[in-house]
Amino acid sequence: MKKQKTPLLRSNAVQSLLASLLCILMGLLIGYLVLLVINPAGAGEAIQTIVQNFFTYSKPQTQLKYLGSTLVKTAPLLMCSLSVLFAYKVGLFNIGAAGQYVVGAGASLYCALALGMPWYGCLLVAIAAGALLGAVSGLLKAYCNVNEVISCIMLNWISLYTVNMLLSRVKETASPYTMPLATTNTKALLPSMGLEALFSNNTYVTIAIPLAILAAVVIWVLLEKTKLGYELKATGYNKFAAKYCGMREKENLILTMVIAGGLAGMGAALLYLTGFEQWQCTQSSVPGMGFNGIAAAFLGGLNPIGTIFSSFFIQHITSGGAYVDKTMYSAQISDLISSLIIYLCGFVLFFKTYMNGRLDRRAEREAAKARNAKAGVAEGGEEK
Amino acid sequence: MEQSYAIEMLNITKRFPGIIANDNITLQLRKGEIHALLGENGAGKSTLMSVLFGLYRPEEGTIKKNGEIVEIKDPNDANALGIGMVHQHFKLVECFTVLDNIIMGVEPCRHGFLQKAEAREKVVALSEKYGLHVDPDALVEDITVGMQQRTEILKMLYRENEILIFDEPTAVLTPQEIEELMQIMRNLVAEGKSILFISHKLNEIMSVADRCTVLRKGKYIGTVDIANSSREELSRMMVGRDVDFVVHKGPSKPGEVILDVAHMTVASKSHGNNAVKDVSFCVRAGEIVCVAGIDGNGQTELVYGLTGLEPLKEGALTLSGRDITHAQIRQRSRMGMSHIPEDRHKHGLVLDYTLEDNMVLQRYFEPQFVSKAGFLKRKAIREYALRLIEQYDVRSGQGPVTVARSMSGGNQQKAIVAREIDKDPELLIAVQPTRGLDVGAIEYIHKQIVAQRDAGKAVLLVSLELDEVMALSDRILVMYEGEIVGELAPKTTTVEEMGLYMAGAKRKGA
Amino acid sequence: MILLLQYTLIFASVLVLVALGGCFSEHSGVINIGLEGIMVMGALGGALMMKVLPADTSAFMMILLVVLAAIALGAVYSLLLAVAAVNFRADQTLVGTAMNLLGTAAATVFVKAMNTAESVDNVSSTIQYIGAKKAFLVNIGGFEFNWFMLLALIALAAAYIVLYKTRFGLRLCACGEHPQAADSVGINVYKMRYAGVLISGVLGGLGGIVYITAGVSEWKFENGVAGFGFLALAVMIFGQWKPTRIALAALLFGLFRALSNVYTGFAFLSAMNIPSAVYNMLPYIISLIVLAFTSQKSRAPKAEGIPYDKGQR
Repeated sequence: MKKQKTPLLRSNAVQSLLASLLCILMGLLIGYLVLLVINPAGAGEAIQTIVQNFFTYSKPQTQLKYLGSTLVKTAPLLMCSLSVLFAYKVGLFNIGAAGQYVVGAGASLYCALALGMPWYGCLLVAIAAGALLGAVSGLLKAYCNVNEVISCIMLNWISLYTVNMLLSRVKETASPYTMPLATTNTKALLPSMGLEALFSNNTYVTIAIPLAILAAVVIWVLLEKTKLGYELKATGYNKFAAKYCGMREKENLILTMVIAGGLAGMGAALLYLTGFEQWQCTQSSVPGMGFNGIAAAFLGGLNPIGTIFSSFFIQHITSGGAYVDKTMYSAQISDLISSLIIYLCGFVLFFKTYMNGRLDRRAEREAAKARNAKAGVAEGGEEK
Repeated sequence: MEQSYAIEMLNITKRFPGIIANDNITLQLRKGEIHALLGENGAGKSTLMSVLFGLYRPEEGTIKKNGEIVEIKDPNDANALGIGMVHQHFKLVECFTVLDNIIMGVEPCRHGFLQKAEAREKVVALSEKYGLHVDPDALVEDITVGMQQRTEILKMLYRENEILIFDEPTAVLTPQEIEELMQIMRNLVAEGKSILFISHKLNEIMSVADRCTVLRKGKYIGTVDIANSSREELSRMMVGRDVDFVVHKGPSKPGEVILDVAHMTVASKSHGNNAVKDVSFCVRAGEIVCVAGIDGNGQTELVYGLTGLEPLKEGALTLSGRDITHAQIRQRSRMGMSHIPEDRHKHGLVLDYTLEDNMVLQRYFEPQFVSKAGFLKRKAIREYALRLIEQYDVRSGQGPVTVARSMSGGNQQKAIVAREIDKDPELLIAVQPTRGLDVGAIEYIHKQIVAQRDAGKAVLLVSLELDEVMALSDRILVMYEGEIVGELAPKTTTVEEMGLYMAGAKRKGA
Repeated sequence: MILLLQYTLIFASVLVLVALGGCFSEHSGVINIGLEGIMVMGALGGALMMKVLPADTSAFMMILLVVLAAIALGAVYSLLLAVAAVNFRADQTLVGTAMNLLGTAAATVFVKAMNTAESVDNVSSTIQYIGAKKAFLVNIGGFEFNWFMLLALIALAAAYIVLYKTRFGLRLCACGEHPQAADSVGINVYKMRYAGVLISGVLGGLGGIVYITAGVSEWKFENGVAGFGFLALAVMIFGQWKPTRIALAALLFGLFRALSNVYTGFAFLSAMNIPSAVYNMLPYIISLIVLAFTSQKSRAPKAEGIPYDKGQR
């Protein structure tokens, strides 16, 4: 029982980091190949643009401003990835983060535009709406044994159509977009607490960003330090053992989906209450934020703190995609890269097993060598 | 004169990451003999047989058939060489018919379409020839374990295998069924087949085998003729020291009733009938009550019902005078019920948690381990785990922070036993507490169970191992098809009598 | 009324094809959440073929080549799942999800690039095939018979025979129920799982092209296939992984999907003045309700979703 120092390569965190970097590199590489196939002339420049994002602007002032814009959209993405991560720790695949995000958007905007509520009210209702939708999936799983992936997908579409219907009541007459917050209800805008000054007066930079980071820390503490986290993770690892020791499996399952849903719903509010975007009431596909959340969650090694960085990266390349030369490529190239990254994340477990196997073999060889050397010494000693 | 060997495995070495499962092992099977392969759990018997069957490739060594070197890359090669195997955990597809399972892999076909009629005839003929009594059209999930085993035997016979491997075939059978199996094995040898019989039960080897090869901790110990050997010699070879098979315990001093079960009925998950039917019994302080029976006769559901993992359909439970019929699992646990579960990987441990987190699995919510605000007291958990590790001699690579998955089966089980006993329960329910463990660990756990009894606890032991039942119990309840069909005293009964109850041939009052 | 029947049958055909695809994959032991992405890829292959074939191609050749293109792309794309799930023991849900996102993203990028290359101003992700589509249709007294309906029927019969009457079917199901048992009698579990996934790629790809030609004459690839792959999974679960039941379930779901296309044709439905969004939601709501009532007793292949590791002790 000697305390041994774990070699660097053995550490789970290091392995996760390596795996994530490898996923990013391979994702970018394949993305680059796709660009090459489409149009070899601009591929190098385009992939550079995607990776650079706001650095494509030359003036530091402008760079800072658009860094701010990227951060504005990182906040909701981080919330969505926390939602996915939290559910995954308990053994659930919350692909419904997308739908929970949609109802969060619907609830916050409706409260702000139709009911004239202040921002904190809108935020709370958005959390509640997301949580409610999560609860539906949780209940269906716990009491009807419905696979959460399928119920979540169905709910994603149901949410989209419902929210489109709901927000059509508060849309501009001439366009399919909802009315802007800045002219309709300024009380509903998230306060900035002076943060915009740091980003060249990018007025969309608000407390949403620190709130999202705070949420990541809270989720980490919840999972790692509390009794609830101990129970939830035990349920995720082995629900039979959890039941055996008297944990309430069904209640925990539903609670998990409620929390996950609340996180995604809050994410939507953190974006739409900045006024950065308006909802398009004729949308015919579910917004990608929730799905990108899956990418960020896995890329972050399923660690809430890691997720902060991976969310920024995913949003960074998604925003960067908007800058590529539209005469050659489309902005969806970023979606392509992030979905490739999700795909590659499926190989992480194998990668880790493989690496540990290699390390094991090496350790064994060294141990054998040491044994042989020792045996030689011992024999020599006996002869003497 | 040169001996003619059906199969020879020479100097086989098979490594897995971290351990050498087979270290330079030689095994020679003569034509027409029953050759036993003896060793404790984890000695490397199953690995060696998997090598022979083509499931694993050895790093070193050769295999010869009839004196010629052969290469066995996969089960197809083994089959082509006439080697067949009845695996310890049957390799049967439950929702297929017996016939489908038998022909799978060697299906008679025309243009890819199955031709089952001719296969059926052959199976029926074989079944009659060897007295196996198997219905080819029944679904495997509907037939008894003994019948499933005979299906596995038919699988080998259908393929016209000459060399038959039986991997721990008796673990799931009644004494009478075991006797039948021995007879079937003798018939097979008489027909010219050669049999490898893997076991850790000395009685069976003594009664049926011609020769025996012994393994210990992955190493070859020796091969002996059964006629010139003894039980004691074999056990010394197997364990490496003299083994005391007797559990030392004084007479029990039963006290007041701790657990009272009245007319308990539990529904079944796998079929429409009830798994436990109108069962009543009690367990007193200071006695070990043993539930014996063949696997699948309601013991699992009985325990689920007692511990709260399954609801009761009917009946009432009382623990130390308090009604717990509708109590939650945790309530029962806190009222003094401890449960060493049947399947330590499924229920007993969170394998991806550390040892210390597993040690507090039943008490993490107590104020000593969690603050009022809901934060875990890591220091207290560490100290508690260290104490249990010390006291119960749980060995692991990195102490309390070892991931449970990486521990040996024996130490995992010790950790569970430590956790459940340290709760200081009124009632200890232990289900197959020594399954898959080596002799050292078995002795240790038996001692702990007797110590609990002597400390005045009530112990309910559920076991499939008749030796264990006979050695530990103060009273024996036999379960058959969900009912308790007999109550026996270990001093006055015999294994044979118990077998009759277990097979449903005899019941109390009849 | 005839219109409702027509749409019901064509949407049911899509669901039958894709659900059977899921059925083969799951019977081999691999959960195929990525059917949606496979459908998109099949649709893309078929749509491109329709676009490049000259207008005077005979109806038979048109059908044949379009079907082949859809099948080929669907099958190739399904290899992504097979490699990850079989060789690399990846989390099948994660990989399937990635394939769904990747399918839509890749199709969009590709179609947009193609459109932009043709005309710089065209940044849409739409392919039109109004002329080519006529090859699939035969008008029988007001009822537009679609050759794909026949194809779905053939696929259904073939699936039944393959699963229950052939050596391949027996072995495939064994791999999904008890791969260790299959391995012990010399069946190559990895190969069978590859086969199961590839068949799901073929059927999913075919379902994709049928879906985008079912009601419309152009397709915007940014929208993917709007969760239809998941409806097919719901059909499969409701059908208890059995071809005949899947067919019945597909008819039911097809009916509700068809309603959103034709409800204006029914006086009493349009009189109720329900927003069209409600009709759009209907198939998803129905599938949730159906799943809630049928999932409790569902008998999925026992080993599905669990990677098979030959070397595992």
